[in-house]
Amino acid sequence: MKEFSYERPESLDDALRLLAASGSEVEVLAGGTDLVIAMRDGQSQPKVVVDLKRITEFYPSLMWAGDTVTLSATATMAETVDDEGINKHFPALAEAAVVVGSVQIRNRATLLGNICNGSPAADTAPPLLAYDAIIVVAGPDGTRRVEIDEFIVGPGRTALQDGEIAVALELRLPSRPLGSAYERMTRRKGTDLASVTLCATVDDAGITRVAFGSVGPRAWLRTDESGVLADPDASDEAKAAVFEEIFADATPSVRSLRASPDYRRAMLRVLGARAVRRALRRLQELQGVS
Amino acid sequence: MTANGSVGSSPNRVGGRDRVTGAQQYVADIHLVDELQAKLVKIDEGRARIISIDTTKAEQVPGVQLILTPKDLPHPMPRFGPQYEDRPILADGEVKYHGEPIAAVAADTKEAAEEAVALVEVEYEVLPGVFSIDAALDPDADLVQHPSLRPNEPFAHSNIKTEFNFGWGDIGAIEGEADYVIERKYEFPMVTHFAIEPHAFMVAPEGDELKVWSTIQHPFQLQKTLAKLLDLPLSKLRIFAPDPGGGFGGKQHPKLEPLVAYMAMKTGRPVRLIMSLEETFQAVRRSSTRVRVRLGLTNDGDMVFNDTETDYLIGAYVDIADRVASKASYVAAGPYRVPVVKIAGRTILSNTTPTTAFRGFGVPQITWARECTLDEAALGLGIDRLEIRRRNLPEKGVEFIPGDTPADGDWRQTVDKAAELIGWDAPLSEGRGRGIALGLKSGPTTGLSYSTVRLLADGSALVFCGTSDMGQGARTVLSQIVAQEMGIPIERISVIMGDTAIVPYDQQTSASRSTVLMGTSVYRACKDIHGKVRAMASRIHGMDEADIDVDGGTVRFTGEELPIVEVVQEGLGSLGGEVIGNGEMRKDKEPDHPLAGSAAFFEFNCTAIEAEVDDETGEIQIIKHVTVGDVGTALNPQQVHGQDEGAAIMGLGHTLMEVMIHDEMGRIRNMGAIDYRIPTSKDLPAELVSDSIENSDGPGPYGAKGVSEGSLLCTAPAVGAAVREATGLTIRDLPLTPQRVWEAMREQT
Repeated sequence: MKEFSYERPESLDDALRLLAASGSEVEVLAGGTDLVIAMRDGQSQPKVVVDLKRITEFYPSLMWAGDTVTLSATATMAETVDDEGINKHFPALAEAAVVVGSVQIRNRATLLGNICNGSPAADTAPPLLAYDAIIVVAGPDGTRRVEIDEFIVGPGRTALQDGEIAVALELRLPSRPLGSAYERMTRRKGTDLASVTLCATVDDAGITRVAFGSVGPRAWLRTDESGVLADPDASDEAKAAVFEEIFADATPSVRSLRASPDYRRAMLRVLGARAVRRALRRLQELQGVS
Repeated sequence: MTANGSVGSSPNRVGGRDRVTGAQQYVADIHLVDELQAKLVKIDEGRARIISIDTTKAEQVPGVQLILTPKDLPHPMPRFGPQYEDRPILADGEVKYHGEPIAAVAADTKEAAEEAVALVEVEYEVLPGVFSIDAALDPDADLVQHPSLRPNEPFAHSNIKTEFNFGWGDIGAIEGEADYVIERKYEFPMVTHFAIEPHAFMVAPEGDELKVWSTIQHPFQLQKTLAKLLDLPLSKLRIFAPDPGGGFGGKQHPKLEPLVAYMAMKTGRPVRLIMSLEETFQAVRRSSTRVRVRLGLTNDGDMVFNDTETDYLIGAYVDIADRVASKASYVAAGPYRVPVVKIAGRTILSNTTPTTAFRGFGVPQITWARECTLDEAALGLGIDRLEIRRRNLPEKGVEFIPGDTPADGDWRQTVDKAAELIGWDAPLSEGRGRGIALGLKSGPTTGLSYSTVRLLADGSALVFCGTSDMGQGARTVLSQIVAQEMGIPIERISVIMGDTAIVPYDQQTSASRSTVLMGTSVYRACKDIHGKVRAMASRIHGMDEADIDVDGGTVRFTGEELPIVEVVQEGLGSLGGEVIGNGEMRKDKEPDHPLAGSAAFFEFNCTAIEAEVDDETGEIQIIKHVTVGDVGTALNPQQVHGQDEGAAIMGLGHTLMEVMIHDEMGRIRNMGAIDYRIPTSKDLPAELVSDSIENSDGPGPYGAKGVSEGSLLCTAPAVGAAVREATGLTIRDLPLTPQRVWEAMREQT
């Protein structure tokens, strides 16, 4: 690891000033579970590391207000998994967050960091896409709100500009009953990077949304407005045709060691069907209750 | 009187608390004053000719004390190895496998060493390498080892290292008696040991001595190797071998200690080289194999002949790979009575990581092929897969390998127990299947273990022995023997290991030998003390020694029973002192035996699996995993189960997920924990049952046999059989990853 200076500002303004002063040779640290490894391996060699964990504005890390939950840059995977409201309203996010890394990693890694790291295999990207998360970005010129689909750009890349910090992630309660589920494919059940990640949501109007990752440069969100996927009576052929279209942009790498492109494409369809089935079941449970 | 922790109980692991709390001192935890940090210079190629090494820029890095290149070493390049002296200290003009060290840097800090490594300029020409059996055997292939390195070897002008031929009877003469003949080929890929503690080495020159710290399993072998390379008396080489964090065979033989010794001697300072997990992939692996099995059977399922060919793809240097291949090939026919057996084995050199001993010592690869082929035969003959195995098992005492140790257990009990535990005849749920397989491995064929036990005046004891406790629990079992024989609680016993200047010679810690061989040695050291105690009792009580019996911590003579410790305290008198016992266990070579020694015991295991296969994803879930071993006597039942479960889970690793992946240039692509997957606690079978058959019929103390490898021998064929029953698929290569199973399912439809 190369030498670097370590800063631990206590206010967001101080953090932004440090970023402005350090140009592009700065890295922001929250959980550090990706950054520290990249620095140890020499892939990242910042001159300055700005630790966000002492910034007072970021606490409490997870807060419900009206129909919105806001998770700050310091909200960990463990906090996300443990929150009753998230489990109730965004179960696919809880399902994705609980399989990130190991217990130790989840106690440290942040939800927002998982997105800012820009990994195509980020477990939480598909559910956050499917739930229309908003990323709140602070910069020298103030604060902007970015839809997550715009925020995610490609491998290791986001819409964040130099000098900006992703300060929070917002999720609004679905406007109508929504069932959702997360599925992933790994080489083993223990800690692993996924070869396919996928989240499906189904609402009471029969609209199905499928977000999927680890099969291309970024996670994608696709929508089936035809109602076929949400229709229990639709034929397997009809559903297969819809999935074909949904997954048309999947371009799994031939160089990947995790699984072959053919296998990944096939698993997209398998996991897609499974996630939709579970999402439908959850929707029915919701409707049964309401 | 039974002291706490005696034989047959399961006291807390000696050293276990330190191991799990992180208090244990591994080599990497030990620091010396004035030490230098070493790093290796490598290139990212599978094979290359080295044209030049320019260290000018690297030498400018502040803190760099030495950059050792081949020109700093004696000419010709010194070489070493446990079987052939073929491994150079540094790459000798050619990088023969991915990661072979070209040079090494020693610096004041690790960071400086790393920076200098990056600045060493190596000019090289990439050469075509051989990375598979077929490529190595191609008549046009380049030679991995130059023939001049292999004088007088019949295959020196090819990549075949050695051919082995074993067997009995004449296949041609008996072939006609077989009603059914089946021939199959099975492959087993490259896997690595993945000990949680990577290899670490440290050497400190002190006066006319060298002190060496290593993660080595065989400290006395390291001492011999360095003594020869450096022309030093054994007495001037002191090897410290702190308890390793897992070895599995990958730490048996010297690796980079000679390099570090040269660096320490050049600089006159302690030098330490701590390898990363990633680097261990370039240090040790299991031989990959292709095994062809041809079985002849009668319609009733009786074996008529077994004709097996084993090809072991070994690395660029032999290490112990020839021994692995020959010893395993020798028992290729398994635990069966087979009238005629013909075994032809080969080791084949390649431009890959040198292969070495690995739990099971070459046997899992052959067992995968034999047991799967036997299953295919059973299916072809319409005979139950359990029945075909039972009917061919030898009775206890039957010499099933002519000239070797007869069957040393009632193996049918083991098989029946496993069948019962898995519920072999119970109805199966949809999507599930069961498999059963047998494994047999020769225990040690030679051995030499000395030990000293010192019974101190206060009734505590010290045990000195050269065994390495790498997690298998040798300290505990050896303590238990002393507790039993001295009648003192285990808490009052300390075991001293891992220092060749203090403990007496031990040949090695391998082949599940320590309980049997070192255990016998320690038992004899206790008996030596018993003799001295008898003399003491005779003196004190004015009795004839013949009328005094000393056993299990108690001294008995007419009408009286006294604890040993009491007699000793009275006998030692006011000056105190101690009673010293020495033990020796020797199993000499047998020159006429094909392996130069018969098996001290056999490790015999039966594994039975129930598995479910996801017909959409190809994922295999192990519903129930049963392993039963024939252990003689479990001196510590909990540790026997621990070894059995550990080996079973390791077996699931190579069965389901582990494989070293190389690119077309021979570069390992999945070094480290991210893309080389081993099972975690979440990957365990839904139910794992370990059981033992105990008939006290082993050669070790109290009738013990060795137990550390058995349950890994036949995991793969048992899982493969369960998958076949669940899906109808026969897959003849490992690992059985979801993708591989899915691809096979897709081809099937």
